[in-house]
Amino acid sequence: MDNSFGSADRRRILYFIIILFFAISIFQLFRMQILEQVAYKEKSTENSIKKIMLKAPRGIFFDRNFQVLVSNKPSYSFEITPANYNRQLNPLIEHVLGVDSNYISKRLSKSTAYSKYIPRLIKRNVDFPFVAWLEENSNKLPGASYVIEMQRDYSFGINGAHIFGYTREINYSQLKRQKNFYSLGDYVGIKGIEKTYENYLRGEKGYKLVIVNSSQRIIGKYENGKGDRAPVKGYDLILTLNSDAQKVAEKSFKHKTGSLVAIEPSTGEVLAFVSSPQYNLAEFASIMDESMIRKIIHDKNKPLFNRGTTSIYPPGSTIKMLAALIGLQEGLITKYSTIDCKGGLQYGNRFFKCHGAHGITNVIKAIEQSCNTYFYKLILDIGLDRWANYVKKFGFGKKTGIDLSEESKGIVPDSKYYDKVYGKGKWSRGNLISLGIGQGELSVTTVQLAQYAALLANFGKTKSPHVVKGYLTQDNQEFIPLKFKDVNIDFKRKYFDIVREGMFKVVNGKGTATGIKLKEYKIAGKTGTSQNPHGKDHALFIAFAPYDNPKIAIAVMVENAGFGSSFAAPIARDVIKAYLDSEKKINNQKLLSEWN
Amino acid sequence: MFSKLEDKFDFSLFVPIIILTGIGLLAIYSSTYNHPTASGNFIKQVYFSFISLGAFFFFYFLPHKSLKLIAGGLYAFSILLLLAVIALGKTVYGAKSWISFGSIGFQPSEFAKVGLIFFLAYWLSYKNRNINNLKDISVALAIGMIPVALIMLEPDLGTAIVFIIITFTMIFWSGLNLFAFFVVASPVVIVFASMFGLGAIIISLGFVLLALYFFKRDIFTSLIIFVFNLASSFFFDYIIRYLKPHQQKRIESFVNPAADPLGSGYNALQAKVAIGSGGLFGKGFLHGSQTQLRFIPEQWTDFIYCVIGEEFGFWGSVITISLFFIVFLRFLNIISSVKDKFSSLVLVGILTLLFTHFSINIGMNIGITPVIGLPLPFLSYGGSSLLVNMSLIGIAMNIYKNRRLYT
Repeated sequence: MDNSFGSADRRRILYFIIILFFAISIFQLFRMQILEQVAYKEKSTENSIKKIMLKAPRGIFFDRNFQVLVSNKPSYSFEITPANYNRQLNPLIEHVLGVDSNYISKRLSKSTAYSKYIPRLIKRNVDFPFVAWLEENSNKLPGASYVIEMQRDYSFGINGAHIFGYTREINYSQLKRQKNFYSLGDYVGIKGIEKTYENYLRGEKGYKLVIVNSSQRIIGKYENGKGDRAPVKGYDLILTLNSDAQKVAEKSFKHKTGSLVAIEPSTGEVLAFVSSPQYNLAEFASIMDESMIRKIIHDKNKPLFNRGTTSIYPPGSTIKMLAALIGLQEGLITKYSTIDCKGGLQYGNRFFKCHGAHGITNVIKAIEQSCNTYFYKLILDIGLDRWANYVKKFGFGKKTGIDLSEESKGIVPDSKYYDKVYGKGKWSRGNLISLGIGQGELSVTTVQLAQYAALLANFGKTKSPHVVKGYLTQDNQEFIPLKFKDVNIDFKRKYFDIVREGMFKVVNGKGTATGIKLKEYKIAGKTGTSQNPHGKDHALFIAFAPYDNPKIAIAVMVENAGFGSSFAAPIARDVIKAYLDSEKKINNQKLLSEWN
Repeated sequence: MFSKLEDKFDFSLFVPIIILTGIGLLAIYSSTYNHPTASGNFIKQVYFSFISLGAFFFFYFLPHKSLKLIAGGLYAFSILLLLAVIALGKTVYGAKSWISFGSIGFQPSEFAKVGLIFFLAYWLSYKNRNINNLKDISVALAIGMIPVALIMLEPDLGTAIVFIIITFTMIFWSGLNLFAFFVVASPVVIVFASMFGLGAIIISLGFVLLALYFFKRDIFTSLIIFVFNLASSFFFDYIIRYLKPHQQKRIESFVNPAADPLGSGYNALQAKVAIGSGGLFGKGFLHGSQTQLRFIPEQWTDFIYCVIGEEFGFWGSVITISLFFIVFLRFLNIISSVKDKFSSLVLVGILTLLFTHFSINIGMNIGITPVIGLPLPFLSYGGSSLLVNMSLIGIAMNIYKNRRLYT
């Protein structure tokens, strides 16, 4: 062959290859489309293989002691495939189903944008008689079918609406963004840990291959199910909750509005979490009707609103320990330095009141009896920006990072903030004085207060609060812990000792919450009243126990209840007792089983 | 006047390309019709078409001299992009081959094809180059294999094959003697044969022996070449362990389609059913049951041809193939009329690129080649691919316009 550049020989070879491929393709097309067309046509119109996606059951939830919190149960869901369905059947099916007329057409009109060959979910959780009726009349009801789906089972005595959250059918924009994983009709978590841990919980879809006829009716398995793949259930989550404490906490809030967060101080693990009023998860999860969802959304008590993480309010006197710690750390006060409380503080032409005249008062007594005068004076010494700086270090004014889907930052005012709100030079140190007793613009969430209580309990060391500890692997159920951020305050331990002693005396001395004193567990705490310009004040209480070796730190907020010690403190005591009792019982069982 | 325009603008190349793009749009429209997530793809592809047409004219009017000047830069830039995609690319279907600029995704390997063609053409056409000299052939192979290695890391098997074939064809075109060509190309063929098991290896090694007999070289040389080929047959087994699961499956399912009915074997089977059931005249636009029932996922990309086969039947399929045929023959005609080596090599590179994509894609649609994920030029949905292909046609027609220049 000619070895010169681009020779005619070489061009001929390229010609030959192109023409050869062309000829082969035309021949193959002729064979497929003309000679064998009948066979292929039969395959395409009568026996088509169809891939049916199988949804994976979501992972379930256990509490810290491996007691089931939320599980799955099978339920029937009624579906309609619009391509094969006759709308004249609507009234009949609506009657048997027991729903309002127009229910079906409303459901169907919601998803007209999708292919009419994809089945639409009409109602979840239909009862067995309906399924039996569908089966019996299947030839008269083309396009109507049912599937067995796994549904959440909330029958374990804990509602936990704001912890667990719920799932909803994926919406169009989400579907578009994540089309590699989801398809029409899939459920995704949109609140609570169902949302935060969606990627852990959703599992892996499976599929089965079936042979369908021209009207998409399944006539059998393809290759006897050899190519099918079973779905893989999502990871089970191990929560940090203690079921016993959670039950008591939910019960205590039955007819109250407010929130409660209990944390294990050393780990940041949330032991109990309540936002009240709650909504009934079991009911909410099976609702398909928009109007009912709207009713819950517009309820004036706002049950969907997570009060534990999103509602913000002034922390009242519960913040006093923080000012005391700053004073000690900065050398402005000592354990022994005192002031003389004569019932308040005159500042300029305003008089800031204390409840009663406490006389000669040191820092411990000031916490024990919640003396306002002491803290008015102290915060004037600390100064606004220095104070704000430390308050932020304790986690206020920013999200704690709790693994529930929504959270507020709260407000920690500093001079920049006041300049913005009031204008430069238009505010005075008078604003600062109210901050000393936790009123005014300072706003916190219950979760922040609980984290603060944990920091006080554990001498300035905790982890960001979280409700999930880790997950179990699907194959051998091995526990894989998740990691959480450290929160550290490097104040001297002796300063913590001083304020903790004050808190101990609140409950066990001559303080403001002596009513909740327990024999078996030493509780340290602090009451607070959050001034509410819109109505009755909110009652607050933060606490930890046992005093010598804290296992639980807690913050309780009861809306419009007035003074902290009468409403919030007893709830805290009940939850503390329930938790410590429960852990004691479990430890005893463990010891016993080891001993045996 | 008209003949003068025809002398500058090759209508017999341009018109088939435009018709093909139009057919592609129809097929994309049909395959995404009422689709839950992809129904916007048609409009996007219409935009891509206009942008690509702009690119076509840009390259058509580009001064001819500048083509040679940008060769080195294009190549260097494509290597950088390929490195970048490995470092920070986005993973789609188990392979990293995308880079995104803001919301626009882009496949650097598409761009790198142009870089390879230009730089290899530039290097091979340099004066006093002798492709039958060991040093020159080694450098030429290296220019081709650097991007291949990077693309194998992504890993994108189909595109790597395209790069290999482009490199070999351009070297072949430069006048490499048949024996040398046999020495460099046979191991690659053996590697592919080894995917089909022991039988295929033995048969292809038999061909190697036969070829060695006809070349009549000394026994020592022949023995070395044979041993090298034998070693290549183990190469695949070694490399498959490094492939991503979805690629292993693709290869497995071509070798044995029944093994994975729902992976690529399933697609190949459904594609054949779609095309075969189209018959002589097809089921009609938007009436293909296989297409409309979405038996093949993402049909608007690699399996666009079976939409045409099903909905427009035998005549539609043949017309589509024939339009490609016209394009390829036109390329060979232009190649024979250009005077300078660089332009000739660029045209051969572009022809090889288009033909490889075309033959592998059509082949897998009608079940005569493995299912390797390569788009059908001008028809498959995808912005990067259309933009690059139209630009290449612009370059080819630029060369046609200046075919009488001798540089």
